[in-house]
Amino acid sequence: MIRLSNVTWRYGSPTRRAAVGRGTDAATALSSVTFSVPQGGFRWLLGPSGAGKSSLLRLLHLEALPQSGELEILGTHVGVDVKRATLARLRQRVGMVHQDFRLMPTLSISDNVALPLRLERRDEAAVADEVAAILRWVGLSERSDALPAELSGGEQQRAAIARAVIARPGVVLADEPTNALEESQSSRIVGMLREVSTLGATVIVATHNDALVRRFPAPALRLERGRLTSDESNAP
Amino acid sequence: MSEAKGRRRDGLALSRALPDRSLLAMVAAMSLLASLTYAGAVGARALSSRWAAGAANLVTVQVPDPEKPAADTTAGSATSMGEATAHKDGASDASSAQTAQFPASQPEKQSGSKTAATPDMTRATAIEAVLQASPDTQLVHRLNASEIDRLLAPWLGAAGASALPLPAVIEVHLSRGAALSTNVIASIAQIAPGSLIERNDEWRVRLLDIARSLLACAALAILLVGTIGAAVIAMATRLGLGARRESIEILHGLGAVDGYVASRFARRVAGLSLAGGVVGTLLALPPLAGIARLMAPLSGGGALTFGSGETGFSIAETMTAFATLCGETPPALLWGLGVVPFAAAFIGWITAQVMVRVWLRRLP
Ligand SMILES: Nc1ncnc2c1ncn2[C@@H]1O[C@H](COP(=O)(O)OP(=O)(O)O)[C@@H](O)[C@H]1O
Ligand SMILES: [Mg+2]
Repeated sequence: MIRLSNVTWRYGSPTRRAAVGRGTDAATALSSVTFSVPQGGFRWLLGPSGAGKSSLLRLLHLEALPQSGELEILGTHVGVDVKRATLARLRQRVGMVHQDFRLMPTLSISDNVALPLRLERRDEAAVADEVAAILRWVGLSERSDALPAELSGGEQQRAAIARAVIARPGVVLADEPTNALEESQSSRIVGMLREVSTLGATVIVATHNDALVRRFPAPALRLERGRLTSDESNAP
Repeated sequence: MSEAKGRRRDGLALSRALPDRSLLAMVAAMSLLASLTYAGAVGARALSSRWAAGAANLVTVQVPDPEKPAADTTAGSATSMGEATAHKDGASDASSAQTAQFPASQPEKQSGSKTAATPDMTRATAIEAVLQASPDTQLVHRLNASEIDRLLAPWLGAAGASALPLPAVIEVHLSRGAALSTNVIASIAQIAPGSLIERNDEWRVRLLDIARSLLACAALAILLVGTIGAAVIAMATRLGLGARRESIEILHGLGAVDGYVASRFARRVAGLSLAGGVVGTLLALPPLAGIARLMAPLSGGGALTFGSGETGFSIAETMTAFATLCGETPPALLWGLGVVPFAAAFIGWITAQVMVRVWLRRLP
Protein backbone atom coordinates (compact mmCIF):
# COMPACT_ATOMS: atom_id res chain seq x y z
CA MET A 1 0.00 0.00 0.00
CA ILE A 2 1.29 3.36 -1.05
CA ARG A 3 -0.39 6.66 -0.36
CA LEU A 4 0.75 10.15 -1.30
CA SER A 5 -1.12 13.31 -0.62
CA ASN A 6 0.04 16.71 -1.83
CA VAL A 7 3.65 15.58 -1.90
CA THR A 8 6.12 18.21 -3.04
CA TRP A 9 9.77 17.58 -3.45
CA ARG A 10 12.55 19.61 -4.92
CA TYR A 11 16.24 19.02 -5.50
CA GLY A 12 18.91 20.96 -3.69
CA SER A 13 17.40 20.56 -0.25
CA PRO A 14 17.49 16.85 0.35
CA THR A 15 17.59 17.02 4.14
CA ARG A 16 14.67 16.87 6.47
CA ARG A 17 15.38 20.45 7.50
CA ALA A 18 14.38 21.60 4.07
CA ALA A 19 12.19 24.62 3.72
CA VAL A 20 8.54 23.74 3.55
CA GLY A 21 5.82 25.31 1.48
CA ARG A 22 7.77 27.35 -1.02
CA GLY A 23 6.29 27.83 -4.44
CA THR A 24 7.09 25.74 -7.48
CA ASP A 25 10.38 26.58 -9.13
CA ALA A 26 12.80 25.09 -11.63
CA ALA A 27 14.28 22.62 -9.15
CA THR A 28 10.90 21.27 -8.09
CA ALA A 29 10.73 17.68 -9.30
CA LEU A 30 7.32 16.89 -7.83
CA SER A 31 4.55 19.24 -6.89
CA SER A 32 1.34 18.39 -5.08
CA VAL A 33 1.35 14.75 -6.11
CA THR A 34 -1.57 12.79 -4.74
CA PHE A 35 -2.38 9.15 -5.46
CA SER A 36 -2.54 5.76 -3.84
CA VAL A 37 -1.89 2.20 -4.95
CA PRO A 38 -3.47 -0.72 -3.10
CA GLN A 39 -1.42 -3.68 -1.93
CA GLY A 40 -0.77 -6.05 -4.84
CA GLY A 41 -1.52 -3.38 -7.44
CA PHE A 42 0.51 -2.85 -10.59
CA ARG A 43 0.99 0.66 -12.02
CA TRP A 44 2.76 2.03 -15.01
CA LEU A 45 4.47 5.34 -14.31
CA LEU A 46 4.45 7.29 -17.55
CA GLY A 47 5.65 10.67 -18.74
CA PRO A 48 8.25 12.29 -20.92
CA SER A 49 11.86 12.48 -19.95
CA GLY A 50 12.36 14.95 -17.11
CA ALA A 51 8.74 14.63 -15.93
CA GLY A 52 9.79 13.42 -12.47
CA LYS A 53 9.38 9.65 -12.74
CA SER A 54 12.78 8.83 -11.25
CA SER A 55 12.27 11.46 -8.59
CA LEU A 56 8.99 9.89 -7.54
CA LEU A 57 10.49 6.41 -7.37
CA ARG A 58 13.45 7.75 -5.35
CA LEU A 59 11.00 9.29 -2.93
CA LEU A 60 9.07 6.03 -2.64
CA HIS A 61 12.38 4.20 -2.06
CA LEU A 62 13.02 6.72 0.75
CA GLU A 63 16.22 7.98 -0.80
CA ALA A 64 14.77 11.38 -0.01
CA LEU A 65 11.99 12.62 2.22
CA PRO A 66 9.11 14.76 0.99
CA GLN A 67 9.46 18.41 1.89
CA SER A 68 5.74 18.77 2.24
CA GLY A 69 2.67 16.61 1.99
CA GLU A 70 1.96 13.16 3.36
CA LEU A 71 3.65 9.93 2.40
CA GLU A 72 2.60 6.53 3.65
CA ILE A 73 4.31 3.30 2.69
CA LEU A 74 3.23 -0.14 3.89
CA GLY A 75 1.30 1.41 6.73
CA THR A 76 4.15 3.58 7.93
CA HIS A 77 3.74 7.32 7.86
CA VAL A 78 6.92 8.92 6.52
CA GLY A 79 7.20 12.45 7.83
CA VAL A 80 10.05 14.71 8.77
CA ASP A 81 10.05 13.21 12.25
CA VAL A 82 10.49 9.60 11.13
CA LYS A 83 13.31 7.68 12.81
CA ARG A 84 16.32 6.54 10.79
CA ALA A 85 15.91 3.00 12.03
CA THR A 86 12.29 3.04 10.84
CA LEU A 87 13.40 4.24 7.42
CA ALA A 88 16.04 1.49 7.23
CA ARG A 89 13.50 -1.18 8.18
CA LEU A 90 11.07 0.20 5.62
CA ARG A 91 13.72 0.22 2.90
CA GLN A 92 14.24 -3.48 3.47
CA ARG A 93 10.60 -3.93 2.49
CA VAL A 94 10.83 -1.80 -0.64
CA GLY A 95 12.65 -3.45 -3.54
CA MET A 96 14.12 -1.04 -6.05
CA VAL A 97 15.39 -1.73 -9.56
CA HIS A 98 17.49 1.27 -10.49
CA GLN A 99 17.93 2.44 -14.02
CA ASP A 100 21.66 1.81 -13.68
CA PHE A 101 21.12 -1.49 -11.77
CA ARG A 102 23.37 -0.50 -8.84
CA LEU A 103 24.95 -3.91 -8.55
CA MET A 104 28.08 -4.00 -6.42
CA PRO A 105 30.93 -4.29 -8.86
CA THR A 106 33.17 -6.33 -6.57
CA LEU A 107 30.58 -8.95 -5.66
CA SER A 108 29.49 -11.91 -7.75
CA ILE A 109 25.93 -12.05 -9.05
CA SER A 110 24.86 -14.54 -6.39
CA ASP A 111 26.43 -12.41 -3.62
CA ASN A 112 24.73 -9.32 -5.00
CA VAL A 113 21.39 -11.08 -5.07
CA ALA A 114 21.98 -12.44 -1.56
CA LEU A 115 22.58 -9.00 -0.02
CA PRO A 116 19.01 -8.32 1.19
CA LEU A 117 18.83 -11.72 2.90
CA ARG A 118 22.24 -11.29 4.49
CA LEU A 119 21.24 -7.88 5.77
CA GLU A 120 18.32 -9.67 7.45
CA ARG A 121 20.87 -12.09 8.98
CA ARG A 122 19.24 -15.14 7.45
CA ASP A 123 21.33 -18.25 7.91
CA GLU A 124 23.59 -19.16 5.03
CA ALA A 125 21.90 -22.42 4.07
CA ALA A 126 18.56 -20.65 3.60
CA VAL A 127 20.30 -17.85 1.70
CA ALA A 128 21.91 -20.32 -0.70
CA ASP A 129 18.55 -22.02 -1.39
CA GLU A 130 16.71 -18.76 -1.96
CA VAL A 131 19.44 -17.35 -4.20
CA ALA A 132 19.52 -20.49 -6.30
CA ALA A 133 15.73 -20.43 -6.69
CA ILE A 134 15.54 -16.74 -7.62
CA LEU A 135 18.45 -17.02 -10.07
CA ARG A 136 16.63 -19.93 -11.72
CA TRP A 137 13.51 -17.76 -11.95
CA VAL A 138 15.37 -14.93 -13.73
CA GLY A 139 17.41 -17.42 -15.77
CA LEU A 140 20.82 -16.58 -14.36
CA SER A 141 21.72 -19.89 -12.72
CA GLU A 142 24.68 -20.29 -15.01
CA ARG A 143 26.06 -16.82 -14.29
CA SER A 144 25.87 -16.88 -10.51
CA ASP A 145 29.63 -16.62 -10.01
CA ALA A 146 30.18 -13.93 -12.62
CA LEU A 147 30.85 -10.32 -11.71
CA PRO A 148 28.27 -7.74 -12.88
CA ALA A 149 30.69 -6.32 -15.43
CA GLU A 150 30.85 -9.71 -17.13
CA LEU A 151 27.10 -9.70 -17.79
CA SER A 152 25.09 -8.21 -20.62
CA GLY A 153 22.68 -5.35 -19.95
CA GLY A 154 19.69 -7.67 -19.93
CA GLU A 155 21.41 -10.07 -17.55
CA GLN A 156 22.34 -7.26 -15.17
CA GLN A 157 18.75 -6.05 -15.32
CA ARG A 158 17.50 -9.48 -14.36
CA ALA A 159 20.07 -9.71 -11.56
CA ALA A 160 18.85 -6.36 -10.26
CA ILE A 161 15.26 -7.59 -10.33
CA ALA A 162 16.27 -10.77 -8.54
CA ARG A 163 17.91 -8.70 -5.80
CA ALA A 164 14.90 -6.40 -5.57
CA VAL A 165 12.41 -9.22 -5.02
CA ILE A 166 14.39 -11.92 -3.18
CA ALA A 167 13.37 -10.75 0.29
CA ARG A 168 9.68 -10.69 -0.78
CA PRO A 169 9.22 -6.95 -0.27
CA GLY A 170 5.79 -5.36 -0.01
CA VAL A 171 6.66 -2.77 -2.65
CA VAL A 172 8.74 -3.20 -5.83
CA LEU A 173 9.79 -0.19 -7.87
CA ALA A 174 11.46 -0.34 -11.28
CA ASP A 175 12.91 2.66 -13.11
CA GLU A 176 12.90 2.18 -16.88
CA PRO A 177 13.77 -1.52 -16.55
CA THR A 178 13.50 -2.12 -20.27
CA ASN A 179 15.33 0.96 -21.44
CA ALA A 180 18.25 -0.61 -23.26
CA LEU A 181 16.75 -3.95 -23.97
CA GLU A 182 15.40 -5.62 -27.08
CA GLU A 183 11.69 -6.48 -27.30
CA SER A 184 11.84 -10.12 -26.20
CA GLN A 185 13.96 -9.18 -23.14
CA SER A 186 11.61 -6.32 -22.27
CA SER A 187 8.56 -8.54 -22.36
CA ARG A 188 10.26 -11.11 -20.21
CA ILE A 189 11.17 -8.53 -17.57
CA VAL A 190 7.75 -6.95 -17.47
CA GLY A 191 6.27 -10.43 -17.22
CA MET A 192 8.37 -11.04 -14.13
CA LEU A 193 7.32 -7.78 -12.50
CA ARG A 194 3.64 -8.53 -13.16
CA GLU A 195 4.18 -11.96 -11.59
CA VAL A 196 5.61 -10.24 -8.49
CA SER A 197 2.48 -8.13 -8.17
CA THR A 198 0.20 -11.14 -8.48
CA LEU A 199 2.20 -12.61 -5.57
CA GLY A 200 1.03 -9.65 -3.45
CA ALA A 201 3.57 -6.85 -3.88
CA THR A 202 2.66 -3.35 -4.94
CA VAL A 203 4.58 -2.72 -8.16
CA ILE A 204 5.30 0.58 -9.92
CA VAL A 205 7.21 0.51 -13.20
CA ALA A 206 8.40 3.73 -14.85
CA THR A 207 8.77 3.63 -18.59
CA HIS A 208 8.28 5.62 -21.73
CA ASN A 209 7.98 2.54 -23.90
CA ASP A 210 4.40 2.83 -25.21
CA ALA A 211 4.50 -0.45 -27.11
CA LEU A 212 5.29 -2.23 -23.89
CA VAL A 213 2.43 -0.50 -22.09
CA ARG A 214 0.08 -1.56 -24.89
CA ARG A 215 1.28 -5.16 -24.63
CA PHE A 216 0.80 -5.24 -20.83
CA PRO A 217 -2.30 -3.16 -20.14
CA ALA A 218 -2.45 -1.84 -16.58
CA PRO A 219 -3.50 1.35 -14.80
CA ALA A 220 -1.07 4.21 -15.35
CA LEU A 221 0.11 7.24 -13.39
CA ARG A 222 1.00 10.03 -15.78
CA LEU A 223 3.49 12.72 -14.77
CA GLU A 224 4.20 15.95 -16.56
CA ARG A 225 6.71 18.48 -15.23
CA GLY A 226 6.31 17.14 -11.74
CA ARG A 227 2.53 17.11 -11.74
CA LEU A 228 0.29 14.11 -11.87
CA THR A 229 -1.92 14.59 -14.93
CA SER A 230 -3.78 11.32 -14.88
CA ASP A 231 -4.38 8.61 -12.31
CA GLU A 232 -6.17 5.45 -13.39
CA SER A 233 -6.39 4.20 -9.84
CA ASN A 234 -9.96 3.18 -10.23
CA ALA A 235 -9.10 0.81 -13.00
CA PRO A 236 -8.61 -2.85 -11.97
CA MET B 1 37.58 -18.70 5.35
CA SER B 2 35.76 -16.69 7.94
CA GLU B 3 37.51 -13.61 6.58
CA ALA B 4 36.21 -14.32 3.09
CA LYS B 5 32.81 -15.05 4.50
CA GLY B 6 32.79 -11.89 6.55
CA ARG B 7 33.79 -9.83 3.58
CA ARG B 8 31.11 -11.44 1.52
CA ARG B 9 28.52 -10.92 4.17
CA ASP B 10 29.30 -7.28 4.76
CA GLY B 11 28.98 -6.70 1.05
CA LEU B 12 31.50 -3.92 1.16
CA ALA B 13 34.38 -5.90 -0.28
CA LEU B 14 36.59 -3.53 1.62
CA SER B 15 39.75 -5.46 0.96
CA ARG B 16 39.47 -4.41 -2.65
CA ALA B 17 38.34 -0.91 -1.94
CA LEU B 18 40.68 0.19 0.80
CA PRO B 19 44.27 0.82 -0.13
CA ASP B 20 45.11 -2.17 2.07
CA ARG B 21 48.81 -2.32 1.83
CA SER B 22 49.39 1.37 1.88
CA LEU B 23 47.20 1.76 4.96
CA LEU B 24 49.03 -1.13 6.60
CA ALA B 25 52.40 0.29 5.62
CA MET B 26 51.51 3.76 6.81
CA VAL B 27 50.26 2.49 10.14
CA ALA B 28 53.35 0.31 10.46
CA ALA B 29 55.59 3.31 9.87
CA MET B 30 53.66 5.40 12.38
CA SER B 31 53.84 2.59 14.93
CA LEU B 32 57.56 2.17 14.40
CA LEU B 33 57.99 5.86 15.02
CA ALA B 34 55.72 5.74 18.03
CA SER B 35 57.56 2.75 19.49
CA LEU B 36 60.95 4.36 19.11
CA THR B 37 59.63 7.63 20.44
CA TYR B 38 58.09 5.88 23.39
CA ALA B 39 61.28 3.95 24.11
CA GLY B 40 63.17 7.22 23.93
CA ALA B 41 60.75 8.82 26.32
CA VAL B 42 61.06 5.95 28.79
CA GLY B 43 64.84 6.19 28.48
CA ALA B 44 64.82 9.91 28.99
CA ARG B 45 62.68 9.55 32.07
CA ALA B 46 64.84 6.84 33.58
CA LEU B 47 67.98 8.84 32.88
CA SER B 48 66.58 11.99 34.37
CA SER B 49 65.37 10.24 37.49
CA ARG B 50 68.74 8.56 37.77
CA TRP B 51 70.47 11.88 37.51
CA ALA B 52 68.06 13.43 39.90
CA ALA B 53 68.61 10.68 42.42
CA GLY B 54 72.13 11.93 42.86
CA ALA B 55 73.81 8.85 41.53
CA ALA B 56 76.44 11.16 40.19
CA ASN B 57 77.44 12.82 43.43
CA LEU B 58 80.87 13.09 42.04
CA VAL B 59 83.91 15.17 42.86
CA THR B 60 86.92 15.37 40.63
CA VAL B 61 90.31 16.20 42.11
CA GLN B 62 93.10 17.25 39.82
CA VAL B 63 96.56 16.92 41.30
CA PRO B 64 99.39 18.78 39.51
CA ASP B 65 102.80 17.12 39.47
CA PRO B 66 101.28 13.96 40.83
CA GLU B 67 104.53 12.02 41.05
CA LYS B 68 106.28 14.47 43.32
CA PRO B 69 106.73 12.90 46.69
CA ALA B 70 104.12 14.03 49.12
CA ALA B 71 106.71 14.20 51.81
CA ASP B 72 108.22 17.35 50.31
CA THR B 73 105.20 19.39 51.17
CA THR B 74 104.09 17.64 54.29
CA ALA B 75 107.54 17.93 55.88
CA GLY B 76 107.55 21.65 55.46
CA SER B 77 104.14 22.11 56.89
CA ALA B 78 103.41 20.81 60.30
CA THR B 79 99.98 22.36 60.33
CA SER B 80 98.88 20.29 57.44
CA MET B 81 99.77 17.02 59.09
CA GLY B 82 98.27 18.20 62.28
CA GLU B 83 95.00 19.01 60.62
CA ALA B 84 94.96 15.78 58.80
CA THR B 85 95.61 13.93 61.98
CA ALA B 86 92.97 15.84 63.78
CA HIS B 87 90.49 14.96 61.13
CA LYS B 88 91.48 11.33 61.25
CA ASP B 89 91.06 11.27 64.98
CA GLY B 90 87.63 12.75 64.64
CA ALA B 91 86.54 9.92 62.44
CA SER B 92 88.68 7.20 63.82
CA ASP B 93 86.35 4.26 63.52
CA ALA B 94 85.27 4.72 59.97
CA SER B 95 88.70 5.63 58.76
CA SER B 96 90.40 2.74 60.46
CA ALA B 97 88.13 0.40 58.61
CA GLN B 98 89.11 2.01 55.37
CA THR B 99 92.76 2.21 56.28
CA ALA B 100 92.77 -1.55 56.29
CA GLN B 101 92.19 -1.52 52.58
CA PHE B 102 95.38 0.33 51.90
CA PRO B 103 97.87 -1.38 49.66
CA ALA B 104 100.32 -3.44 51.63
CA SER B 105 103.16 -1.36 50.27
CA GLN B 106 102.84 1.18 53.06
CA PRO B 107 104.64 -0.39 55.90
CA GLU B 108 106.22 2.77 57.24
CA LYS B 109 103.20 4.14 59.05
CA GLN B 110 103.95 6.34 61.96
CA SER B 111 103.34 4.21 64.94
CA GLY B 112 100.01 4.77 66.58
CA SER B 113 99.02 7.37 64.03
CA LYS B 114 96.16 6.75 61.68
CA THR B 115 97.25 9.37 59.24
CA ALA B 116 96.31 8.30 55.74
CA ALA B 117 99.13 9.96 53.85
CA THR B 118 102.69 9.01 54.61
CA PRO B 119 105.68 11.05 53.60
CA ASP B 120 107.12 8.46 51.21
CA MET B 121 104.02 8.48 48.99
CA THR B 122 103.60 10.55 45.86
CA ARG B 123 101.22 13.47 46.04
CA ALA B 124 98.62 11.61 44.06
CA THR B 125 98.67 8.50 46.17
CA ALA B 126 98.74 10.56 49.30
CA ILE B 127 95.62 12.43 48.26
CA GLU B 128 94.02 9.18 47.22
CA ALA B 129 94.74 7.82 50.64
CA VAL B 130 93.27 10.88 52.34
CA LEU B 131 90.16 10.56 50.26
CA GLN B 132 89.93 6.84 50.90
CA ALA B 133 90.08 7.50 54.55
CA SER B 134 87.24 10.00 54.53
CA PRO B 135 83.96 8.47 55.77
CA ASP B 136 81.97 10.31 53.13
CA THR B 137 83.60 8.69 50.15
CA GLN B 138 82.22 5.57 48.64
CA LEU B 139 84.68 5.06 45.88
CA VAL B 140 87.94 6.70 44.95
CA HIS B 141 89.41 6.08 41.57
CA ARG B 142 92.44 7.56 39.95
CA LEU B 143 92.06 7.59 36.21
CA ASN B 144 94.75 5.50 34.54
CA ALA B 145 96.68 6.56 31.47
CA SER B 146 94.27 5.14 28.92
CA GLU B 147 91.28 6.70 30.61
CA ILE B 148 92.98 10.08 30.58
CA ASP B 149 93.92 9.54 26.96
CA ARG B 150 90.33 8.89 26.13
CA LEU B 151 89.24 11.89 28.08
CA LEU B 152 91.63 14.12 26.22
CA ALA B 153 91.26 12.49 22.86
CA PRO B 154 88.75 15.05 21.60
CA TRP B 155 91.28 17.81 22.24
CA LEU B 156 94.63 16.12 21.71
CA GLY B 157 93.77 13.53 19.14
CA ALA B 158 94.53 9.86 19.11
CA ALA B 159 98.26 10.45 19.62
CA GLY B 160 97.55 10.44 23.31
CA ALA B 161 98.64 12.66 26.06
CA SER B 162 101.29 10.52 27.68
CA ALA B 163 104.00 12.88 26.61
CA LEU B 164 102.46 15.89 28.32
CA PRO B 165 102.91 16.68 31.99
CA LEU B 166 99.38 16.00 33.06
CA PRO B 167 97.79 16.26 36.45
CA ALA B 168 96.40 13.16 38.05
CA VAL B 169 92.64 13.00 37.94
CA ILE B 170 90.96 11.37 40.88
CA GLU B 171 87.28 10.65 40.85
CA VAL B 172 85.54 10.56 44.18
CA HIS B 173 82.05 9.18 44.58
CA LEU B 174 80.54 10.59 47.71
CA SER B 175 77.70 9.24 49.73
CA ARG B 176 74.37 10.65 48.80
CA GLY B 177 74.05 14.22 50.00
CA ALA B 178 77.55 14.32 51.40
CA ALA B 179 80.28 16.81 50.60
CA LEU B 180 84.03 16.73 51.09
CA SER B 181 84.79 17.93 54.57
CA THR B 182 86.84 21.08 55.01
CA ASN B 183 89.49 18.98 56.71
CA VAL B 184 89.91 16.80 53.65
CA ILE B 185 89.99 19.82 51.39
CA ALA B 186 92.64 21.39 53.55
CA SER B 187 94.66 18.20 53.54
CA ILE B 188 94.60 18.08 49.78
CA ALA B 189 95.75 21.66 49.61
CA GLN B 190 98.55 20.86 51.98
CA ILE B 191 99.70 17.76 50.18
CA ALA B 192 99.54 19.25 46.70
CA PRO B 193 99.06 22.99 46.53
CA GLY B 194 97.31 23.94 43.33
CA SER B 195 95.05 20.92 43.31
CA LEU B 196 91.70 21.57 41.78
CA ILE B 197 88.61 20.24 43.44
CA GLU B 198 85.61 20.28 41.17
CA ARG B 199 82.13 19.47 42.28
CA ASN B 200 79.77 18.57 39.51
CA ASP B 201 76.65 20.02 41.08
CA GLU B 202 76.14 22.62 38.40
CA TRP B 203 76.80 19.96 35.84
CA ARG B 204 74.14 17.81 37.42
CA VAL B 205 71.66 20.65 37.39
CA ARG B 206 72.39 21.17 33.76
CA LEU B 207 71.98 17.45 33.06
CA LEU B 208 68.65 17.56 34.81
CA ASP B 209 67.58 20.47 32.67
CA ILE B 210 68.62 18.56 29.60
CA ALA B 211 66.76 15.50 30.81
CA ARG B 212 63.68 17.56 31.46
CA SER B 213 63.70 19.12 28.02
CA LEU B 214 64.38 15.67 26.59
CA LEU B 215 61.28 14.45 28.37
CA ALA B 216 59.26 17.34 27.04
CA CYS B 217 60.53 16.63 23.53
CA ALA B 218 59.65 12.97 23.88
CA ALA B 219 56.15 13.81 25.09
CA LEU B 220 55.74 16.25 22.24
CA ALA B 221 56.99 13.66 19.78
CA ILE B 222 54.56 11.07 21.10
CA LEU B 223 51.76 13.58 20.82
CA LEU B 224 52.76 14.51 17.28
CA VAL B 225 53.22 10.92 16.18
CA GLY B 226 49.84 10.04 17.66
CA THR B 227 48.14 12.96 15.96
CA ILE B 228 49.79 12.35 12.63
CA GLY B 229 49.04 8.64 12.91
CA ALA B 230 45.40 9.36 13.55
CA ALA B 231 45.37 11.78 10.61
CA VAL B 232 47.00 9.21 8.34
CA ILE B 233 44.47 6.55 9.29
CA ALA B 234 41.67 9.06 8.90
CA MET B 235 42.84 10.02 5.43
CA ALA B 236 43.24 6.40 4.36
CA THR B 237 39.78 5.68 5.70
CA ARG B 238 38.40 8.65 3.83
CA LEU B 239 40.01 7.39 0.64
CA GLY B 240 38.57 3.94 1.13
CA LEU B 241 35.18 5.38 1.95
CA GLY B 242 35.22 7.56 -1.16
CA ALA B 243 35.99 4.54 -3.30
CA ARG B 244 33.17 2.62 -1.63
CA ARG B 245 30.68 5.44 -1.75
CA GLU B 246 28.51 3.69 -4.29
CA SER B 247 28.59 0.41 -2.39
CA ILE B 248 27.67 2.12 0.85
CA GLU B 249 24.84 3.91 -0.90
CA ILE B 250 23.62 0.59 -2.26
CA LEU B 251 23.76 -1.00 1.18
CA HIS B 252 21.96 1.98 2.62
CA GLY B 253 19.32 1.62 -0.09
CA LEU B 254 18.91 -2.05 0.76
CA GLY B 255 18.03 -1.06 4.30
CA ALA B 256 21.35 -1.45 6.12
CA VAL B 257 21.43 0.71 9.24
CA ASP B 258 24.25 3.18 9.82
CA GLY B 259 25.73 1.22 12.69
CA TYR B 260 25.99 -1.92 10.59
CA VAL B 261 27.78 -0.24 7.70
CA ALA B 262 30.00 1.79 10.04
CA SER B 263 30.99 -1.20 12.13
CA ARG B 264 31.88 -3.24 9.03
CA PHE B 265 34.08 -0.47 7.79
CA ALA B 266 35.55 0.25 11.22
CA ARG B 267 36.32 -3.40 11.88
CA ARG B 268 38.14 -3.69 8.60
CA VAL B 269 40.15 -0.53 9.21
CA ALA B 270 40.89 -1.60 12.79
CA GLY B 271 42.12 -4.97 11.58
CA LEU B 272 44.42 -3.38 9.06
CA SER B 273 45.65 -0.86 11.61
CA LEU B 274 46.25 -3.58 14.17
CA ALA B 275 48.30 -5.55 11.67
CA GLY B 276 50.22 -2.42 10.72
CA GLY B 277 50.78 -1.61 14.38
CA VAL B 278 52.12 -5.08 15.10
CA VAL B 279 54.47 -4.90 12.12
CA GLY B 280 55.72 -1.45 13.12
CA THR B 281 56.25 -2.39 16.75
CA LEU B 282 58.05 -5.58 15.78
CA LEU B 283 60.27 -3.54 13.48
CA ALA B 284 61.12 -1.33 16.44
CA LEU B 285 62.25 -4.27 18.56
CA PRO B 286 65.58 -5.11 16.85
CA PRO B 287 67.05 -1.63 17.31
CA LEU B 288 65.76 -1.50 20.87
CA ALA B 289 67.10 -4.98 21.58
CA GLY B 290 70.42 -3.95 20.06
CA ILE B 291 70.67 -1.03 22.43
CA ALA B 292 69.64 -3.23 25.33
CA ARG B 293 72.35 -5.74 24.44
CA LEU B 294 74.94 -2.99 24.28
CA MET B 295 73.90 -2.02 27.77
CA ALA B 296 73.73 -5.54 29.13
CA PRO B 297 77.36 -5.87 30.30
CA LEU B 298 77.03 -2.63 32.19
CA SER B 299 73.74 -3.30 33.84
CA GLY B 300 75.14 -5.85 36.30
CA GLY B 301 77.31 -3.64 38.49
CA GLY B 302 75.63 -1.03 40.58
CA ALA B 303 79.03 0.49 41.27
CA LEU B 304 81.07 1.69 38.38
CA THR B 305 83.42 -0.68 36.70
CA PHE B 306 86.51 1.37 36.28
CA GLY B 307 88.88 -1.46 36.89
CA SER B 308 88.47 -2.68 33.37
CA GLY B 309 89.66 0.60 31.99
CA GLU B 310 87.25 0.10 29.16
CA THR B 311 85.07 3.11 29.71
CA GLY B 312 85.59 6.77 30.30
CA PHE B 313 84.05 8.02 33.45
CA SER B 314 81.29 10.30 32.21
CA ILE B 315 80.38 7.93 29.43
CA ALA B 316 80.38 5.08 31.91
CA GLU B 317 78.12 7.09 34.13
CA THR B 318 75.63 7.62 31.35
CA MET B 319 75.88 4.06 30.18
CA THR B 320 75.28 2.76 33.65
CA ALA B 321 72.23 4.89 33.98
CA PHE B 322 70.94 3.63 30.67
CA ALA B 323 71.79 0.06 31.57
CA THR B 324 69.90 0.44 34.80
CA LEU B 325 67.00 1.76 32.82
CA CYS B 326 67.11 -1.26 30.56
CA GLY B 327 67.51 -3.54 33.54
CA GLU B 328 64.70 -1.90 35.40
CA THR B 329 62.12 -1.09 32.77
CA PRO B 330 61.59 -3.91 30.30
CA PRO B 331 58.16 -4.72 31.69
CA ALA B 332 57.08 -1.09 31.49
CA LEU B 333 58.67 -0.67 28.08
CA LEU B 334 57.14 -3.88 26.75
CA TRP B 335 53.80 -2.89 28.16
CA GLY B 336 54.00 0.42 26.41
CA LEU B 337 55.11 -1.13 23.13
CA GLY B 338 52.35 -3.71 23.38
CA VAL B 339 49.84 -0.92 23.63
CA VAL B 340 50.99 0.68 20.34
CA PRO B 341 49.20 -1.70 17.91
CA PHE B 342 46.01 -1.56 19.93
CA ALA B 343 46.19 2.21 20.04
CA ALA B 344 46.58 2.18 16.24
CA ALA B 345 43.64 -0.19 15.89
CA PHE B 346 41.51 1.94 18.17
CA ILE B 347 42.37 5.13 16.29
CA GLY B 348 41.47 3.39 13.04
CA TRP B 349 38.26 2.02 14.45
CA ILE B 350 37.02 5.27 15.95
CA THR B 351 38.00 7.28 12.88
CA ALA B 352 36.16 4.92 10.56
CA GLN B 353 33.12 4.85 12.81
CA VAL B 354 32.89 8.62 12.97
CA MET B 355 33.57 9.16 9.28
CA VAL B 356 31.16 6.53 8.00
CA ARG B 357 28.42 7.72 10.30
CA VAL B 358 28.95 11.36 9.41
CA TRP B 359 28.91 10.41 5.76
CA LEU B 360 25.77 8.27 6.04
CA ARG B 361 24.02 11.06 7.90
CA ARG B 362 23.90 12.97 4.64
CA LEU B 363 21.54 10.33 3.32
CA PRO B 364 18.03 10.24 4.77
N1 LIG C 1 20.14 15.37 -9.06
C1 LIG C 1 19.33 16.34 -9.53
N2 LIG C 1 19.52 17.63 -9.16
C2 LIG C 1 18.72 18.60 -9.59
N3 LIG C 1 17.70 18.39 -10.40
C3 LIG C 1 17.45 17.13 -10.84
C4 LIG C 1 18.26 16.06 -10.42
N4 LIG C 1 17.78 14.91 -10.96
C5 LIG C 1 16.72 15.31 -11.71
N5 LIG C 1 16.53 16.61 -11.63
C6 LIG C 1 15.43 17.37 -12.27
O1 LIG C 1 14.22 16.91 -11.75
C7 LIG C 1 13.28 16.82 -12.76
C8 LIG C 1 12.74 15.39 -12.82
O2 LIG C 1 13.77 14.51 -13.17
P1 LIG C 1 13.59 12.95 -13.17
O3 LIG C 1 12.84 12.57 -11.99
O4 LIG C 1 14.88 12.30 -13.41
O5 LIG C 1 12.67 12.75 -14.48
P2 LIG C 1 12.41 11.43 -15.32
O6 LIG C 1 12.91 10.28 -14.55
O7 LIG C 1 10.93 11.42 -15.51
O8 LIG C 1 13.11 11.60 -16.61
C9 LIG C 1 13.97 17.24 -14.03
O9 LIG C 1 13.64 18.58 -14.28
C10 LIG C 1 15.42 17.10 -13.74
O10 LIG C 1 16.13 18.05 -14.45
MG1 LIG D 1 14.31 8.83 -15.03
